[in-house]
Amino acid sequence: MSLNYIIAMLLITLGLYCLLLKRNLIKMIIGLSVLSDGIHLFLISLGYRTGGIAAIVTGETMPGFAASAVDPIPQALVLTSIVINICILALALSFSIYAYRHYGTLNPSEIRRLKD
Amino acid sequence: MIPHAPILVIVLPLFGAFFTPVVGILARRYNLKNAVEIFAIAVMIAVFVMVASMAPTVWGGQFITYQLGGWSPPWGINLAVDGLAIQMALMIAGLSTLVIIYSAAYMKRDSGLSYFYALVLLVIAGMMGTVLTGDIFNFYVFLEIMSVGSYALVAFRRNSESIEAGLKYLFIGSLGTSLILLSIAMLYGIVGSLNIADLGAKLTLYGGAVPTGLVVSLALFVTGVMIKVAMVPFHVWLADAFTAAPTAISALLAGPAAVVGIYWVARLPYLPFGMPVGIILVSLGLLSMIIGVLMALTQRDFKRMLAYHVISQKGYMVLGIGLGTFGATLGAQGGLFHLLNHSTYKSMLFMCAGAVLFRTGSQKFDELGGLGKKMPITALTFLIGALAISGIPPLNGFASKYTIYLAGMQAGQPLITAIAVLVSALTFASFFKAFSSVFLGQEHERFKEIREVPKSMLFPMLAMAVLCIIIGLLPALGFNVAGPAQAAAENSAGYISHVIGGI
Repeated sequence: MSLNYIIAMLLITLGLYCLLLKRNLIKMIIGLSVLSDGIHLFLISLGYRTGGIAAIVTGETMPGFAASAVDPIPQALVLTSIVINICILALALSFSIYAYRHYGTLNPSEIRRLKD
Repeated sequence: MIPHAPILVIVLPLFGAFFTPVVGILARRYNLKNAVEIFAIAVMIAVFVMVASMAPTVWGGQFITYQLGGWSPPWGINLAVDGLAIQMALMIAGLSTLVIIYSAAYMKRDSGLSYFYALVLLVIAGMMGTVLTGDIFNFYVFLEIMSVGSYALVAFRRNSESIEAGLKYLFIGSLGTSLILLSIAMLYGIVGSLNIADLGAKLTLYGGAVPTGLVVSLALFVTGVMIKVAMVPFHVWLADAFTAAPTAISALLAGPAAVVGIYWVARLPYLPFGMPVGIILVSLGLLSMIIGVLMALTQRDFKRMLAYHVISQKGYMVLGIGLGTFGATLGAQGGLFHLLNHSTYKSMLFMCAGAVLFRTGSQKFDELGGLGKKMPITALTFLIGALAISGIPPLNGFASKYTIYLAGMQAGQPLITAIAVLVSALTFASFFKAFSSVFLGQEHERFKEIREVPKSMLFPMLAMAVLCIIIGLLPALGFNVAGPAQAAAENSAGYISHVIGGI
């Protein structure tokens, strides 16, 4: 179980490294998505329990339901967050296409006409 | 209060956003002029009326909670409207309406306008949601709605500068929101709740012994919010975004959107995290004030100069709210009052810059000059805004800055007051330079044909100028708004008991 958290932290660190230090827009976008995937893994691990059951109540009362069901809230949160991140990813990629058209490069340090 | 007003003010602009392209298609088919603009303005006026209908109830000492789907907190999502939230919602609704009226004429030459208004309404829905919601994950979702909309709006014209600014804004902004999401995840893991009131109630149980995880979570949250507010180490996106965006969008982001970050800055110190947030706010505020104004002094671009002043003035607000935690009761009040004033005059100043850009096609100081005779009303409103931002009595900027000066003395830090006064003087110097190089001086040959901008652009500018003068002459009006807001921000126990009690 703690493996999940270790991998989540690794993904977050890698994503941050990629986002802050890589000099290519596509790599930075990959970094952003790795970063958010790391956060998603962290969030989903919070609610998981080994051998847990889905938190769905059918008509009859089940003995020990609360003790064995996984927490459904993180799953709902992660679903929402995945959708949001797809929007950001799509927007970022379309910006990069325009940036490549205007500047002929994907290097963010060469994309600077604003600071003259 | 209109029934269901708290949720309607979020849902109306949200649905309005998705209907705008449909209205655009219908308008093209039946050849209706300005249908999209009129639709967007109508939606915003409806929103403003509904927010205004809530205001007397809240200022009368009541607390409006609205449970979505009838699920009681802490299980369901609820909307909580207290004095602080109502100030923010009023400002968002009022200023955004004026910005949309302004952009009706300003954006006329652009294409794809139905998507422009769709995005603007989406951003407004996001802003409304962030200030009214009582659920911290819901806050994140609305923050992302607002942010994604504003990234797209900054790059709306898709030319090289705006794409560059949009990319920068997108990367820094999404880093900020990712940090906020991580912080919310950690909070949920440790405390086990997402409802803000419930979180507050459970955090008080820790007393002095706060787990390390919570400190990390708070640090991430503060960093995320500071990126959104653009305090100094995280400010780089703001100047570019405000320079390259269509000016109507600069006005929207400088006025109403600034509200969202400051709202959270005002909430933060009173959530019992057990960490000295106040000292962080004071130091970041001071740093932003000084660096913002120094950067502004060297700018030769009209909008870029205004953008650096946004950073500097937000420093005042954060400083004021930070001082509020050191026993200076005037601090938070001054900060929130300054937010009200700053959003008004900074939107107006951006509109003036937009008016100059609209007629001359330039926003560089070197290329402009002598426009005062050609555009007298723009020059007059710019002058009012410039005097207000420099804190010259009897305009509104003076009233709120003076409150912050007093708060510095009240907290026993006369040095902070001295710095604030100095920054104010530098602001005046910078605006004096801007005014003289744009509106005074020699008339350029190629500006012979320049006329005043259309009336529909002048109306929002004049409305804001009148607001600046009225609040300046009768500061009590502003304090009547900021006072309940400050009381609500500091009364976190009342917030908790109202929401959990479901009154």
